Amino acid sequence: MLPALRRCRPGPVPLPALAAALGPGPFPALCPGWSPRAVPARGRKSRHDPPAKSKVGRVKLPPPVDPEELLVVLERYRQHRLVLNALRAEFRAEVLQKKREERLAAAGSLEEQEEHRRLMAWNDEENARQRARREERLRKQEEEEKRKKLEIAEKQARKMEAFVEEKEKEVLQLQEEAKNFITLENLEARIEECLDNPRNYNFAIDKDGRIVKRTVLS
Amino acid sequence: MVQLGSCLLRGRGGNVVIRFALGGCTNRPFFRIVVANSRRPRDGKYLEQLGCLDPLPNAHGEKVAGLNLERLRYWLGCGAQLSRPAEKLLGLAGFLPLHPMTVTAAERLRRQRQREQQQPEAAPADSTAEPGTNTAPGTDTAP
Repeated sequence: MLPALRRCRPGPVPLPALAAALGPGPFPALCPGWSPRAVPARGRKSRHDPPAKSKVGRVKLPPPVDPEELLVVLERYRQHRLVLNALRAEFRAEVLQKKREERLAAAGSLEEQEEHRRLMAWNDEENARQRARREERLRKQEEEEKRKKLEIAEKQARKMEAFVEEKEKEVLQLQEEAKNFITLENLEARIEECLDNPRNYNFAIDKDGRIVKRTVLS
Repeated sequence: MVQLGSCLLRGRGGNVVIRFALGGCTNRPFFRIVVANSRRPRDGKYLEQLGCLDPLPNAHGEKVAGLNLERLRYWLGCGAQLSRPAEKLLGLAGFLPLHPMTVTAAERLRRQRQREQQQPEAAPADSTAEPGTNTAPGTDTAP
């Protein structure tokens, strides 16, 4: 309908009179959205055959369109489409309803449906039972794992503590021993001390490290 | 013979249409109202036949058509499109609302008939008036 709107002219005018009035040649001003076809749409000739000499000055114009009639027709089309779509919707609903009924009928008689429902319920119960057992099992496993993790962490902490204690003890011992170290300040005093107190290391020890007081001969 | 069935149905999309398939012989057309895939040839394989139409008037001046309304409802419910002449036929049959162009064409015809009726009335009126006016100058201009 839009090309018709574009081709609107004031009132239906007979074609030959208009063509005679305006003379030969295209009238693009009258029908801006339409241009005369260079090659006709159908006929005996193909697109490569030239047009006949009698058609040299021929200009084919589209059929005239009355705007009032066009508006009336558009309104009629709109209403027609409304009604048509409503009918289609109704038919669609009908078809769906029939399909549903057929499916229900094919599903079987009442006893079959009852048994189906019963079996489905039993199946659901079984599933629930299994799920409970599975959840129990999983929960216990999780608890075990947590406990183990805690134990490991505790052991680790204890190990760390023991280690730290050992190290501290060593440090303290070293500190204690450090008091007896010979430093540059003590050097001379300690030398004097050693020289003043000569010690006799002239003794024998046995395999256990004890000093031997008496010999075999005596 | 090339079977184009699968190429038709598995290429670009097509849709189901209710349209006329032409049959009959030379100078004797006969239409079958048919549900088919839109990409099939006009007279080719169809899904189902929903009726027929004889376009030539019979001895009593009637154009006879047959329609299967139950199946028509089913196919429309499945989403089949209608071709324009099929829509017009169903509108005239009363199953669907009248097509706008049917009404418009009838109005135009009526207007044309009225114009033609008025023109012969005007023409005899002019022709009866003209001899009355022609005779006077005829007598005047007679040598």
